[in-house]
Amino acid sequence: MPFYPVQLVLLNTGGAWFDLSTLPVFIAALIAIGIVLFTTYHKKSRERFTLRKIAGLDAVEEAIGRATEMARPLLYTPGWGGDIQRPTTIASMNILSHVAARAARYDCQLVYPTHDPVIMSVAQEVVRESYVQEGYPDRFNEDNIRYVSSSQFGYAAAVEGQITRLKPASIFLLGTFEAESLILAETGNFVGAIQIAGTDSTIQLSFFIVACDYTLIGEELFAASGYLSGDQSILASVRAQDLMKLVIMALLIIGVIWASINPDSTWWRF
Amino acid sequence: MKRLESRHWVFIGLFLVVLLSMLLQVDLGVEVSSDTTRLFDYIENLPPGSTIMISFDHEASSLPEIRPLALAVLRHAFARNQRLVGVALLAEGTGIGYRLMEQVGKEYGKVYGEDYVFLGFKPQYIAAMLSMGESIRQTFPEDYLGRSYDSLPMLQGVRNYDQIAGVISIADGSLTTHWIEYAGNQYGVRVSAAVAAAMVTTYDPYLASGQLHAMIGGLRGAAEYEQLIHQGGSGLRGMLAQTTAHMYVILMILIGNVVYFRGRRKRGEG
Amino acid sequence: MRRRIPQLVCGLFGLVTFLCYFSSHPIARKIYLTVTLDYWQIIFAFTLIVGALSFVRVNLRAVERGEDRPYKIVSLIGVVLMPILALIWGIRGGSPFMWVFENIQVPMQATVFSLLAFFVASASYRGFRARSLQAAILLGAALLILISRSSIGDLIWDRIPEAAEWVRSNPAMSARRAILIGIGLGSLTTSVRVLVGIERTWLGGEK
Repeated sequence: MPFYPVQLVLLNTGGAWFDLSTLPVFIAALIAIGIVLFTTYHKKSRERFTLRKIAGLDAVEEAIGRATEMARPLLYTPGWGGDIQRPTTIASMNILSHVAARAARYDCQLVYPTHDPVIMSVAQEVVRESYVQEGYPDRFNEDNIRYVSSSQFGYAAAVEGQITRLKPASIFLLGTFEAESLILAETGNFVGAIQIAGTDSTIQLSFFIVACDYTLIGEELFAASGYLSGDQSILASVRAQDLMKLVIMALLIIGVIWASINPDSTWWRF
Repeated sequence: MKRLESRHWVFIGLFLVVLLSMLLQVDLGVEVSSDTTRLFDYIENLPPGSTIMISFDHEASSLPEIRPLALAVLRHAFARNQRLVGVALLAEGTGIGYRLMEQVGKEYGKVYGEDYVFLGFKPQYIAAMLSMGESIRQTFPEDYLGRSYDSLPMLQGVRNYDQIAGVISIADGSLTTHWIEYAGNQYGVRVSAAVAAAMVTTYDPYLASGQLHAMIGGLRGAAEYEQLIHQGGSGLRGMLAQTTAHMYVILMILIGNVVYFRGRRKRGEG
Repeated sequence: MRRRIPQLVCGLFGLVTFLCYFSSHPIARKIYLTVTLDYWQIIFAFTLIVGALSFVRVNLRAVERGEDRPYKIVSLIGVVLMPILALIWGIRGGSPFMWVFENIQVPMQATVFSLLAFFVASASYRGFRARSLQAAILLGAALLILISRSSIGDLIWDRIPEAAEWVRSNPAMSARRAILIGIGLGSLTTSVRVLVGIERTWLGGEK
């Protein structure tokens, strides 16, 4: 019998339209969304706003310039762990758009292997659009943005093989990586590529820090879009992150003090 | 012939060290950690006849590390007369999971369908986890061998996670996170894990917060578990190879530092 | 219009799944499950076709051009052979499909995975250097964890596992949590930007 989950017999016949147990999450989500929208659309909060220097993002130009000078390709890959729903993949697409525009301008070959057909399709659109916007649609080669394998180490072997054969001058490892991270980063190191990495996978960050030239840590990857484009509406959401951090820090301090004074209290747990 | 570089010598050295250690087959024994004891106690203290779901959330590549972990947990669960429901949420875990359950089931004289079942693979793991929270039967109308869900005596009365004492995710990547976030947080099922060593630190925060009930990790975790169930396996046998490999890496770090400081002194920086 | 419709679909489904998360009403659960189960499964099935077709096309073109021909031919044989085996004999235990999987794919993947051990050794040799005080502290912590994860740790000093556990549970966990909070907030702001349409790069550009 085929599987049609829409036919699921819903055993829970009762249930409230609003589940009160999710109230703390709901309030936190509304506050967070409110802060993002406020910083984005409130004109005053967008004034006089600059980001600190992020070495990994400043090095993007250097990496593209190097590939152009050496007449060798750029290799960009988003890792095996993500799919298109993941914000990290979208953040990576933003950087890809910028890299593709520069690659188009300098006529530098950009190779993008991926493990996910949807990511491949989106990346093709993003890169194509960048080439068109730069005025070089003829330089775009769809085959350079390719699906290689959905299997983790099939993907790792395919990308490793491309790095070894193409010997790219610069490698961008930006997205969600798992155990393949060190295999790719070390192979890139062996061929002498300049490497810029960034991931939301904390365990793989340590591998990237050891093996790559520049590593974007944590939220730096998400700030990249605004940092590279200078778009104030996107930069404003970075300010929202800082405001939310302040809220979280305040809650942590209150929670720690409260729990220290009255260890039996539970109101701060959710 | 191309001259070997320093990294090639590093590779050759590691290969020889691990090979010799594997040939020696010395049982070193290990000190059992509190994390391992926690998982052991959890299975040990469940009433016999409880239903545990074992999810094989790994690829074929990590089998040398995952296999001893899975075997140790399965042996303990069967020895305690627990009933096991196997599933695979990554395609490559399917055949492996079935073989492991069948092997250990035979060792303990267990009958398929009465003491254990293997439901097979379901793509889109998040969807599968959510779907099982509503109805396992609808998610897996047939088991891996093509028998209908209703024809398996062990599954009579098993509707969803409410009838499952706990889920043990045997993983080499981030799938355990999804078990915690979707099955654990949304349906309240108790989630434990047996994971590859590289993933241990990823799950530490979940373990500390109690979202992950118990966890064992890597070959060392398997060796500790084998010690607890008094049944030696490839975990304990592999500890010599792991120990010598770790010592080799430490040696490489020390040599790397000696080379670095000598170079610095030569350049007059020290 | 080419961008507006996907943006509307994205915003609508984002809002619906967001609201459904907070409801336990059967209708809300049904909508949530239909979106997350049925729609995902259908999209997933189609993406596999897109991926397979793209893979075959790119590799055939490469074979025609003579670019990395042996590798491409092996890849194409694999992509054609496995579905044929599965269609004729099925994928249950003992079938030819499973034989190829267990005796060819598993060892090949394990081989690539095992490369990690060699790369860890070479990366440690090259990268783990006490260039500064901070790097030296990091190096010390790494050595402690390495020793604790092997049998020899207990033999050198019985408090080594305890010390390593302290490093894992305190400084390492604190740093990890801080990074995770940063990543979580970054994910959240990116998601909101996508849902309200400020972020449009994923649609292929700004226009």
